[in-house]
Amino acid sequence: MSHDHRTRSFQVEALTRVEGEGGLIVEIHDGAVRDVRLRIFEPPRFFEAFLRGRAYTEPPDITARICGICPVAYQMSACQAIEQACGVTLDAPLRDLRHLLYCGEWIESHVLHIHLLHAPDFLGYPSGIAMAADHRAELERGLRLKKIGNEIVEVIGGRAVHPVNVKLGGFYKAPDASRMRALAAELVWATDAAEEVARWVATFPIPDHELPDGTDLVALRHPTEYPMLGERLVSTSGLDIAADEYLAHFTEEHVQHSTALHGRKLAGGDYLVGPLARFVLNADHLSPRAAALAAELGLTAAERNPFRSIVVRAIETLHACEVALAIADAYAVPPRPAVDVPPRAGAGCGWSEAPRGLLWHRYELSADGTITDAHIVPPTSQNQPVIEHDLIHLIEHSLHLDDSALEALCEQAVRNYDPCISCATHFLDMRVVRT
Amino acid sequence: MSLATGCQAPPITVIGIGNPYRHDDAAGLVVLASLSQRFAAEQRIRLVELDGEPVRLIQSWEGSDTVLIIDAVRSLHPPGTIHHFRADGISGAAADGIALGGGHLLGLGEAIDLARALCLLPRDLDVVGIEGADFELGQGLSAPVASACDLATAQLVDQLEQLLLSLVSRSGAAARPAARR
Repeated sequence: MSHDHRTRSFQVEALTRVEGEGGLIVEIHDGAVRDVRLRIFEPPRFFEAFLRGRAYTEPPDITARICGICPVAYQMSACQAIEQACGVTLDAPLRDLRHLLYCGEWIESHVLHIHLLHAPDFLGYPSGIAMAADHRAELERGLRLKKIGNEIVEVIGGRAVHPVNVKLGGFYKAPDASRMRALAAELVWATDAAEEVARWVATFPIPDHELPDGTDLVALRHPTEYPMLGERLVSTSGLDIAADEYLAHFTEEHVQHSTALHGRKLAGGDYLVGPLARFVLNADHLSPRAAALAAELGLTAAERNPFRSIVVRAIETLHACEVALAIADAYAVPPRPAVDVPPRAGAGCGWSEAPRGLLWHRYELSADGTITDAHIVPPTSQNQPVIEHDLIHLIEHSLHLDDSALEALCEQAVRNYDPCISCATHFLDMRVVRT
Repeated sequence: MSLATGCQAPPITVIGIGNPYRHDDAAGLVVLASLSQRFAAEQRIRLVELDGEPVRLIQSWEGSDTVLIIDAVRSLHPPGTIHHFRADGISGAAADGIALGGGHLLGLGEAIDLARALCLLPRDLDVVGIEGADFELGQGLSAPVASACDLATAQLVDQLEQLLLSLVSRSGAAARPAARR
């Protein structure tokens, strides 16, 4: 940390409590923010290259290894893209099982982020471990809730980490009805607990802040559902497109300070994916208790404060519990665990809403099903530019803070986006510099 | 780690941590796979593959008194060095000066700290750390790490067989007074 009459500087060598390791540099000169750069060092796109030449049946298992936090998202987007390429549509009961599996991942991921990564920022603790002494009951409730998310993934996906039961067209084996009944019983508790979590985080002191003007909020949209498995992409600027139109509106570009690609709108301007964007564009499709609680807590489609993302995550957790309970309650073993997906030459695009936001996949296949090209756009690379610009905006309004307070605020703001650097590449270490 | 089956947890849990697409980071998974060949049918041992996510880690040993964790480590020791730690020697991100880091979220040391804070540590928790050389993206272990995995597997087979014998003698000791009554 250094000061002179014109400059101040500080460094945070490692950005903790994000999923992965990477770096962030903030430069302030003469009282003005000169630059903010989110640095990522690891070679990206390993998995895209790794997939070329592999069989079309392999991406659900291989891409699940990109991220330990959101393997289901990778499996769902991969399956949808390849099924589209092969011209296959799922039976309704199998789609319900995918929806349930995705609920499990949302519960796991959101609960982990709320309790161990982000709540300590709001409550003034350096870590979730330090927070445990004063908030043990809340952490224990969170751990039990997360465990139910794990259990959903285990029952449907075959195991809690990197599920092995997912295949093109559905599942290798349909879950037993008895295990589903046991799951439903746990979800009754989980739904109540999720509501308590949302009420708890709504009491946190929320910094007064808004996204930079003109930020476009982007999320999937489904005719009747909150869009874990959405069909079209919509935005607050009026975009409404299908999965195979994605590259006509969005691109990725390399920037010097990062080996991860940055998502860009071809029309220009920043865009945001993730819980806040999903809520703003899909609040009308929340489950009943989640919708009522969101309204009670003052969340509306006009919400633009990224620090309130923690409340949105809690509302989405409640939604996921309600939806999971409804599917588990209505479950009957489907007539077949999977539909056949014969290979054919062509290309297919698929997408879904990972806990952190839109995850788009595209595959090209030869006639025998060999993958000739793969393209994966994860949510964190799409959010990198808006994270940088949001930090500039935030710091400009927070220059009165001393260095340590400003550092802490920057880290808290980065965690608003729950960046999964492991998905964007693998490993990030954060460094903040003020000069 | 079933919530709902109501089955009694096995007394021993063995956890292999790693990423199979980061070369030597897969050491824990390779050892676990070898142990599975020997102990897959053993009802008293639960074998778990994890990526190191701390809450899943803590919840994966629930109900077991004895937990063995195998993970890759990175320090200044030669690749293939096998380290042994006990939970009471592990705190924060370091054990005896050796980083027990994690690419995701929190490292193993911090996960153990969290378990300690929430009174969720098992009675005995041992960590076998295998010093890695190559953590870049890709598959396959480096030669010294592959050899270390074989050695660690052999050591763990011996340790687990001893533990199983001690369970038999303990249950026998518990049964004898009852038989006398």
